[in-house]
Amino acid sequence: MAKFKQWALEYVLSDDEPVQLEIAKKAAKEIESSRASSTVVGNWAASVQQWMTTSHADDDEMEDGDEGGSGDIIARAKALGFLANTLEALDKSSLRPDQVLRLIGFFGAMFSYDHKAGITASAKALRQLYSMKAFKPDMGIKIIEDVCKIKEDFRLQTAATRLELYELFLSLIQDPAVSSELRHKYGPSCGFVVDLLQVCQNERDPRNLMIWFKILALLLADYEPSPEVTEELFKVFSAYFPISLRTSATPIGITAEDLKEAVRSCFAAHQRVANQAFPFLVQKLDQGDAVTVAVKVDILKTIKACIEQYDNPQASIVPHIEKIWNSLKYEVRNGEVKETIDATLDVLRTLARKLDGTTTHKLDISSLKSYVDLVCRDCRDDLANPTYTKQAGLLLMTVISANIRAYVLYNVGFVDAIRQNLRQPKSPSHTRDLLLLLNSLLKTRMELLRDREQGHPEDEESLKTESRAHLDALFHDVYLPIWTAKDKESGSDEKDVLKQAVQGLALLVSQQVLQPDGTPVLLCSDSVCSEICSLLTVTLTKGLTLSSNDNGAEDLGLEDEVVLALRTIVMSYAAGYAEIVARARTEIKNRSWDNPSGYSLNALKDLLSRITFIGCSEIPLSIATNTSSQKPFSPLQHFVTLTTTLLELFPLSSQATATTEGSSANAHVISSLHASVIWFRDACEANEDGSSDAVLPPLKENDPEVYGQFLKTTWDERALVQLSQMAALVVRSLDEKLQVACNLAQEAFDFFQDPEELAVQKETGALTGLLTLGILQGLTPGALATLYKSDGKAERFMCDTSKFGHFPSRESDIRAAISAILANKYKGGPSTSDPESLVMKRVLDFWGNWLNEATTSTSMDQATFHAYNNIAMNVIAGAAARQDKHIPSLIPALHHAAASPQPNGELLAKSLGLIVKQNELLTPSNHAIVKRFYKQWAYSHLAKPLLQSAQPTPSEEDKRTATRHRIAVLSVATNCPFTVYQDDLPLLIRLLVTALTTRADISTPEVAWSQTISALEILVEILAHEPDAVKGYLREVIGGATRVYQECAARTEGQEQQQQQQQQGMRTACRRLALQVLGAIPSRFEERFVLAYAPPTQRMLAVACGDGVRRVREVARKARASWAKVGV
Amino acid sequence: MERDLDNANPTILSVSQLPSRRRKGLATRRGPDSKCDSIVYPKQHWPYGSGSSSDEDGDCEEEPVDEQDIYDLISTISDPEHPHTLGQLSVVRLPDIHISPSPTELPTPDSLLTVLVELTPTINHCSLATVIGLAVRCRLEQTLPPNYRVDVRMKDGTHAQDDQVTKQLGDKERVAAALENDTLQRMVDKMLETCA
Repeated sequence: MAKFKQWALEYVLSDDEPVQLEIAKKAAKEIESSRASSTVVGNWAASVQQWMTTSHADDDEMEDGDEGGSGDIIARAKALGFLANTLEALDKSSLRPDQVLRLIGFFGAMFSYDHKAGITASAKALRQLYSMKAFKPDMGIKIIEDVCKIKEDFRLQTAATRLELYELFLSLIQDPAVSSELRHKYGPSCGFVVDLLQVCQNERDPRNLMIWFKILALLLADYEPSPEVTEELFKVFSAYFPISLRTSATPIGITAEDLKEAVRSCFAAHQRVANQAFPFLVQKLDQGDAVTVAVKVDILKTIKACIEQYDNPQASIVPHIEKIWNSLKYEVRNGEVKETIDATLDVLRTLARKLDGTTTHKLDISSLKSYVDLVCRDCRDDLANPTYTKQAGLLLMTVISANIRAYVLYNVGFVDAIRQNLRQPKSPSHTRDLLLLLNSLLKTRMELLRDREQGHPEDEESLKTESRAHLDALFHDVYLPIWTAKDKESGSDEKDVLKQAVQGLALLVSQQVLQPDGTPVLLCSDSVCSEICSLLTVTLTKGLTLSSNDNGAEDLGLEDEVVLALRTIVMSYAAGYAEIVARARTEIKNRSWDNPSGYSLNALKDLLSRITFIGCSEIPLSIATNTSSQKPFSPLQHFVTLTTTLLELFPLSSQATATTEGSSANAHVISSLHASVIWFRDACEANEDGSSDAVLPPLKENDPEVYGQFLKTTWDERALVQLSQMAALVVRSLDEKLQVACNLAQEAFDFFQDPEELAVQKETGALTGLLTLGILQGLTPGALATLYKSDGKAERFMCDTSKFGHFPSRESDIRAAISAILANKYKGGPSTSDPESLVMKRVLDFWGNWLNEATTSTSMDQATFHAYNNIAMNVIAGAAARQDKHIPSLIPALHHAAASPQPNGELLAKSLGLIVKQNELLTPSNHAIVKRFYKQWAYSHLAKPLLQSAQPTPSEEDKRTATRHRIAVLSVATNCPFTVYQDDLPLLIRLLVTALTTRADISTPEVAWSQTISALEILVEILAHEPDAVKGYLREVIGGATRVYQECAARTEGQEQQQQQQQQGMRTACRRLALQVLGAIPSRFEERFVLAYAPPTQRMLAVACGDGVRRVREVARKARASWAKVGV
Repeated sequence: MERDLDNANPTILSVSQLPSRRRKGLATRRGPDSKCDSIVYPKQHWPYGSGSSSDEDGDCEEEPVDEQDIYDLISTISDPEHPHTLGQLSVVRLPDIHISPSPTELPTPDSLLTVLVELTPTINHCSLATVIGLAVRCRLEQTLPPNYRVDVRMKDGTHAQDDQVTKQLGDKERVAAALENDTLQRMVDKMLETCA
């Protein structure tokens, strides 16, 4: 006894929660260890006696306004808290039923007597007692009865206390045992409910409301309350509707949406409130403009929830349908807000589905019928009124297509109504709206058919026997006449009608019907499908058949619509694609492509591009037409049709195009072939369900002669590049095993040339090396491994300095590209064919020596040097991307060669940037080995050591070295991201300034200009990222950029003019960049730094606005505008 | 500021209907089938090699300023009372822009040229015609090089007082004075905000 008293006292005196909990735990232990002997429990309960006894006296005093009693109230509350916390800590099985009952009595009494101090602790204690093992259902009744005695004082409790009590109520009401006891005791009159309602009806705290609404919904659903009690319950929760939540500074984790949901679930809890709920909600909705959109949506969602949840729709919903419909129809008919319209249609759809029944149990059709009849009666006439056509159609559509039963019953009537109205349209937009409705009916029909298996078996049966004649007739009755009538007109309204018609045609062809045995076939006959195809194909081939004057289609929207429609069509009607392609093929073959106009080439390109998209961007579906199809289905069929046709068309022209720059008909064919592979790959990736597993029979052509023959046709460069990239695409997508199995690494060389000869061939055209390149580009390093034997193909190729053929620059580019790949995908080291990693070392050494010789000898002209140097740099670039360990030892040789007195040294210095330049071949998508920080690595080896020696120097001897090293640094830096050279800005900026002002020390003009371009490019980057670094050099930078612009803009006469023409591109780039630098300056510095330069710069920029090149003018205008703000 | 609009319902052209530099037939078409155009019809058809940094695309040809350039400069000015541009409202029309002598036949790059722009107000009593003219003038003076003379007029017969407005716009002193007026200056600035 003494122990408990002591603990109780300690507990009361303490303000520290953990300490209190500790004490409660001790007490609980004590009780448990005594196995809850009556004495111990009695002592424990009596330990708070000293605070209880004075309670009544205190209460009276308090009511008299004596504040001295407040201490006692707190102490009393704490003392009760001690008991409650002990109960919480106590093992739930320790107390006996009689003890629990007595404790419930004790705490329950608090609700009658001690509203100030007792409630919080008692609420907690009661919840603990409810969870005791010895708790009996009838005790639950006592708790509820006791607690309800608190009456009005309930709302004086804190929100937290009330929450405790709501949770207690909820657990009791949810408890099946307690609930059956309650129902047994009170029956439908539910006396306790009335008490509960009285206690809780004024709740406003959101957290408490969430639970209160749950309780209300439970009471409605599970307790079978009498109509009177139901009405009381309805009154309580409907009073909160529509509920909102004031935004509060302290978020409580409950949103307005949660509250709305909670109230909604009360409305939808049970159909016994149907008679109150529907009229109430409809009346709220009918308040007109007073209702905001959010509230309207809330009401509509609530109605929908009720319809969905209520059982026995005949009794609960059917009586209210007319009322609901009459109110809701105006929301759509005259509605303007999309959200409310959508929500309304949702309700109407839900209603139709509810009346249909469930997937297992169909309701009698009469109520569904009378509902749809009601809607039809009201909407049918509106179809003839252009103002309401869309809305009326929407309402009809929603109801008719809500389920298969309604659809089968009513679609004939709906289609008829639309058809009649289409005969006498009031305006083009009326026609368009009617077509739109027809199209959406077709679309929903497809959805219904698709989902038929999830529905009731009856539905599928009814689909097998549905009437189809009216749909079948749509083409000849509706779409074809509209197409023929509007095709000739060109107004934008007519175009819109046509677009709808096109979409409709596609939907029509895609329609399937069920045969008696349940298999789906296409609705339209082959002849109709084919007619539709040819109708639409005319639009595609128009570009070729009409002359450029007659084909004035500025609006491509219709053509695009046709393309999309045809794509949909050939997915279902597979034979259509062959027809389209054959038609296009005939049109293409009809003309000569030897010397086509730009217009016809463009038309050819469009046509090929479109038929490629139509056939290859989707995988065809396997659906039989209603006549037995001739060919077996294959997902690849369109792809095969197209590629065979393209190959057959190729070459369209046997003449080589005069210029390699211009595109030719042949190149367009190859481009489409390439595009078809891309589209088809993407389509397969999008449908990864194995539907495209079909495999083509492999070609059995291993004779290199075939490839040689193929190359004998006239190829232009563009076509070959496309073919090469297509090869790369195909090879890339093979896995390494396949690449190895096909021996692609070796064959890449052998296919197209004499295996004995390594260099890119001269006989078959210099460009066939492109094809080798295409294959190598897509191979993985592993698949290339066999090439790297000592003195193997790779090594010989990389070190090849044999002469070039007719096109040295192209050949050099190709050899360089192949070498970059070979150098990059090299894997030396143990367990490879090059265990000592010597191949790459030899190759790099070879080029190191070669470059040193070539830059010191005077015999090599610049063009030749340039071509070989290109290969060397690409080899190094390929190796640098994987940070080859032999590179650092090569670099001093490069630096040395760059400083050589011969002009070739200049070229070399300028080309060092190639080593870090962005190169499509050296990317992970091409299976290249690219280290993440290789640019930093390369910069620190290549450029950083030169920063000092590149600085301008007075000494004549070092001048050349400085110039060359400056060229090298700038060339490398401009190809690196800003962060790479960020730390070297102070040194770098001095180089930039020198580069802008001096060009005379460079003998090759090309190198001089490219140095200026690099310097300007770097400046643009610096100004964008760290303008402060330029602050000290503003005068030089502005002056330098201005001078560069002026020099590049100056025109010269005579001999120099020709030279100028050659450098046109570089000069333009310089002008553009110089202006870009100037334009970036004013916004990045305070005005005082730039003010002094404003007048001359503004004058110069004004003149620059008249630059000869349009793009430069644009940049000049921007720069001028930004300088115009200076000094205003 | 509630005020009756001078013309409450002007005819508005959509952006695609405005004249632009697309050469007929050679315009790049963007259709549903154009997804891989950048790959199969690349702008730069030779993707390899070293010398391609400076001649990335072919826009470095010399193309002197033409009427379309002038149109592009001023058609994007906003109308002072509608949320549309002068181009969309057809206040500025391509055929009403004249450059003389044509820049292609200039003796020297610095010789003088005159740009004549005739404006068509949406209605013939438009009170804002002067402001529009002023904005067009400002825009051209801010963006054309110094050897271009700008002449902005009301097209004959399109405005009740076209002579008067034209006279005002041609008077340097009055133009300068107008721009001293803060309210007018702000209005013009606002109209020019939509110009790129």
